[in-house]
Amino acid sequence: MSQEHSSLTAPVAAVGRASLSVVNEMGAMALFFLDGLRLVFSSWSQFPKMVRQIFFIGVKSVSVITLIAVFTGMVIGLQTYYALAKFGSEGFLGAAVALSLVRELGPVLTAIMLTGRAGSSMTAEIGVMRITEQIDALDVMAINPMSFLISPKLAASIISFPLLTAWFDLVGIGGGYLTGVMLMGGNAGVYTSRVESALGWTDISGGFTKSLVFGVVVCTVCCYKGYFTHLRKDGVGPEGVSSSTTSAVVMSCVLVLMADYLLTSILF
Amino acid sequence: MAAELKAAPDIRLEDLTVGYGDVAVVRDINVTLPGGKISLILGGSGCGKSTLLKHILRLHPPIAGRMYIGDHDICGLSKADFRCIKQGLGVLFQDGALLGSLTLGDNVALPLREHTRLDEAAIARIVRSKLSLVGLEDFMAYYPNQLSGGMRKRGGLARAMVMDPAILFCDEPTSGLDPINSAELDQLLLDHQALFNMTIVVVSHDLQSTWAIADYVVVLGDGRVLFQGDVDALRATTDPYLRRFLDRKAQGGAVERLEDELDRSLMKEDCSKYWTSLRK
Repeated sequence: MSQEHSSLTAPVAAVGRASLSVVNEMGAMALFFLDGLRLVFSSWSQFPKMVRQIFFIGVKSVSVITLIAVFTGMVIGLQTYYALAKFGSEGFLGAAVALSLVRELGPVLTAIMLTGRAGSSMTAEIGVMRITEQIDALDVMAINPMSFLISPKLAASIISFPLLTAWFDLVGIGGGYLTGVMLMGGNAGVYTSRVESALGWTDISGGFTKSLVFGVVVCTVCCYKGYFTHLRKDGVGPEGVSSSTTSAVVMSCVLVLMADYLLTSILF
Repeated sequence: MAAELKAAPDIRLEDLTVGYGDVAVVRDINVTLPGGKISLILGGSGCGKSTLLKHILRLHPPIAGRMYIGDHDICGLSKADFRCIKQGLGVLFQDGALLGSLTLGDNVALPLREHTRLDEAAIARIVRSKLSLVGLEDFMAYYPNQLSGGMRKRGGLARAMVMDPAILFCDEPTSGLDPINSAELDQLLLDHQALFNMTIVVVSHDLQSTWAIADYVVVLGDGRVLFQGDVDALRATTDPYLRRFLDRKAQGGAVERLEDELDRSLMKEDCSKYWTSLRK
């Protein structure tokens, strides 16, 4: 009887355990983020580290973001042009491209690209430092590893994500111009004036808010996974770093999309 | 008032049990490592030497017991107070643990940049002098991955020494080094101890190092402290395990142990055929 009972409740118990574990991890990540944020302002010596991280996360990502943005804009321009042409509303192309990029695609695609380019390397770098005792070495030198490693990355992400998103939006709108106006023969003046008139402050501030939140999410998840790579149960040493990196990228992308839905429903 | 270390303090471990989570690795440690001497924590692989060291450095919390550095009960110190104590400690990790993203010079300069208000010229002078003590003054601009294992360890030693610590901890300083490099590192430790009068704690299983540098020895094994005393007492020990360890005698034939194991297995006949064929 008791065996039958346990076989019936086992799946429910497993779901409960998994849910508790997810909630625990989210809580731990939130505390990790708050600790990192608090230490951003701990001393002036943080500033040069921050600048180095802005160079790594921001400047070094400009080329890849530009490439992705221009092709995204071109595809949206082309697809939207065909759709609008069916109703004789090609004049609205600029508004459609600008709104979809600024409100949605710009922040989300920038965050996902930065997860792949910068987030994964954050996890791998911190994970390798953990397994080679470099983080322990910082600790015993009385240097807070959170302040030395995590805070500059967090500050750099908070600064870089919105700026790269703005760049993505700008280049993407240019990409839409390339296909909608230069390739398909739409009117240039109408395109630019529609971009200008369609975009309101709510759209722009909403896009920036999203990118800010995505920056925090991606950086926190990737740094957390690297920092605690030694506690993983599914692998130790280099294998653990590899598992942490994979899990950080997957979790960041999922959380970015979930946060995107929540923010869209709240902000717009 | 912030906690501060006196010069060359001793380290007292009282009823200490160390391990991970609830799993004890070494139990009931009652040891005093004398100040101003070189103490060696000796034992076979996996006996808990490095675990004990990490607990003394408070990288892991002990399961039970107390630890004192000088007059400070380090288990009871707040994080801020222990941070002050840590500024008086130097640690050489197994592979040096130099930060891979910084040059050797920047690695050695790091504690000075983080904890002092010295200008860059003064920092550069101190770094050069510490690196010259370990024979690496010409390698300041090299990254750790451009250095050999021995050089990384010596670089790690320079970084551990840069704040003129009261206590220097070394985790397996000679492991993986050739005899010449091992002897050089031993000599470096002796020179540093003589020059700066510090307490040095070395974790090792290297017997040659033990005879060369140790004033005081603690031997771990079987999850407990097997011996503590000076080097002469260790040389004269009659304890069977210690004698085997010191005389480098194997525990028993590996082939016989494997055969015993196979005798108990279900494939006994197949295996005996296999062993017979091997012996032919």
